[in-house]
Amino acid sequence: MNTYVWLVKREFWENRAIWIIPAAIAGLLTLGCLFGTVEATFFDTPEGIGSMAGMMFLVFGALFFAAMSLYSYWYLLDCLYTDRRDRSILFWKSLPISDTATVLSKLFVGLVAIPIVYFAAADAASLLAAFVLSVRAHSLPANALWQPAVWLQLQALWLYVIVTTAIWYLPITGWLLVISAWAKRAVMLWSVLPPLAVILGEQLFLGTHVGLRLIDDRLFGYASRAFNYSMQGPLWADGMPGAPSFPGNPSFGLPAAWHILDPAGFLSSPATWIGALTGIALIAAAIQLRMRRGDQ
Amino acid sequence: MPAVIQARDLCKKFGSQTALDHVNFTVQPGRIVGLIGPNGAGKTTALRAVLGLTSYDGTLEVLGREPFRERAALMSEASFIADVAVLPSWLSVDHAIEFVGGVHPRFRPDRARALLAKADIAGHRLMRELSKGMKTMAHLALTMAIDARLLVLDEPTLGLDILARRGFYDALVNEYMDDTRSILITTHQVEEVEGLLTDVLFIDQGRIVLDCSMKDIAARYAAIAVTDDKLAAARAEQPFHERPMLGKRILYFERPNFERLAAFGDVSTPTVADLFVAKLSRGASA
Repeated sequence: MNTYVWLVKREFWENRAIWIIPAAIAGLLTLGCLFGTVEATFFDTPEGIGSMAGMMFLVFGALFFAAMSLYSYWYLLDCLYTDRRDRSILFWKSLPISDTATVLSKLFVGLVAIPIVYFAAADAASLLAAFVLSVRAHSLPANALWQPAVWLQLQALWLYVIVTTAIWYLPITGWLLVISAWAKRAVMLWSVLPPLAVILGEQLFLGTHVGLRLIDDRLFGYASRAFNYSMQGPLWADGMPGAPSFPGNPSFGLPAAWHILDPAGFLSSPATWIGALTGIALIAAAIQLRMRRGDQ
Repeated sequence: MPAVIQARDLCKKFGSQTALDHVNFTVQPGRIVGLIGPNGAGKTTALRAVLGLTSYDGTLEVLGREPFRERAALMSEASFIADVAVLPSWLSVDHAIEFVGGVHPRFRPDRARALLAKADIAGHRLMRELSKGMKTMAHLALTMAIDARLLVLDEPTLGLDILARRGFYDALVNEYMDDTRSILITTHQVEEVEGLLTDVLFIDQGRIVLDCSMKDIAARYAAIAVTDDKLAAARAEQPFHERPMLGKRILYFERPNFERLAAFGDVSTPTVADLFVAKLSRGASA
């Protein structure tokens, strides 16, 4: 087997939380659906059922996505730090594995493997929940909440989000890897203090807000780049309060994924590529730091 | 056969502090070399440079490679144990064998398993569940199952009890060493490794102060216990160090006239530890 396959395997051995957390969330959601109260008002009409299904899938997706973001942040910040803290870095460095391979394997786990695990967990949880809720609302056939169109759109949405967030957040990923490879302690603090210092310093001494705007745009500007409608409210089911209306929208509550995805706009935005290049430079810096971290 | 390690004018600075100051040394195949020095002398820095763990100035060739640039390639032929506490605590023994077997072309899992079985270490256990001695044996088993041409040991027995230390070195000499391999080792327990070594390198303040084979030590150095009445005459032979011992004084000589020395008492070869103290007690005649 390839060295990279072993390195990724290794990450799963070490960080069992990669699958334990999403599995636990899926378990809790399923329990909630099994024993919670089902508000049956949405089940009255076919549109209502569609809304219910779409909304549930979206809420589940958002929940898993939020958990994944937090976990990925922690993982990337920790991945080049723990083995320095417990000195096991010297064991890993005694093996014929380049520092480039080590850093790239962790990058792969953070940007691809973890999102896929959460994606799979979100899928499993929403399908289970749809089934459980349909069964519990006796008046309906068991497959009432099984809306293949909605579900397929959600798959497309997930895959699109995994790819585009990986690119958009690459500079943040690179930054976290640099801190993880460099800081002697307090990685969390180091991950936020320098950007804060830049923002404050700029305001105090120059009276400008370039750093703040850049960081703000990077953190919160993703949705407006990757989707072609303005995120006024949450991505919500059609007919729900606050939901934007979509011309020619299919009857299901979830706006058709292909209506809101904007890959062309995302890929043609200069911010996407400036960010990606910055991210690559930071990852290269993290590799250089890692090479020099055998002498602590 | 070409040298295993060749260092020429090896230098390393940490800020304004010089850790290695134009260090030169060579390690030949089949040798067990002890790199010995006080704390902060530059031992660990020298080893880290050899292993590609740190950048340096000067030229350094290890198994024909430049360590810092080619660490990964070098590690397929060299291996090292930094000290006892470096195996990751979350790793199980079985996974360790699986992983090293997966990434290392010269690792023989069956050999590692045989060594582990001998040390009564079960495969399902996590490293954090093992005692210090068992952890060391586990690490040693993993390392000895690698067909490496160079093994580097940095204080390998730190914190081990005397049984575990003895077991470690016995395994090293009997199971691992042969005349195609070389070992470079640093330790404070000089007495313990003295019998194993073929060569010694003393390092002090970033410089090599002695580079000598064990055979040459007997030809080059002498120690002699002198009673007070002969002290003045013996001192005329220019000892480089002396210390009191049970009412006598022990004098140490480099390249002495052995025949003349014999007149003052029994001439013996100093132990590595004594030689180390004698060499490194700067300007001291205690």
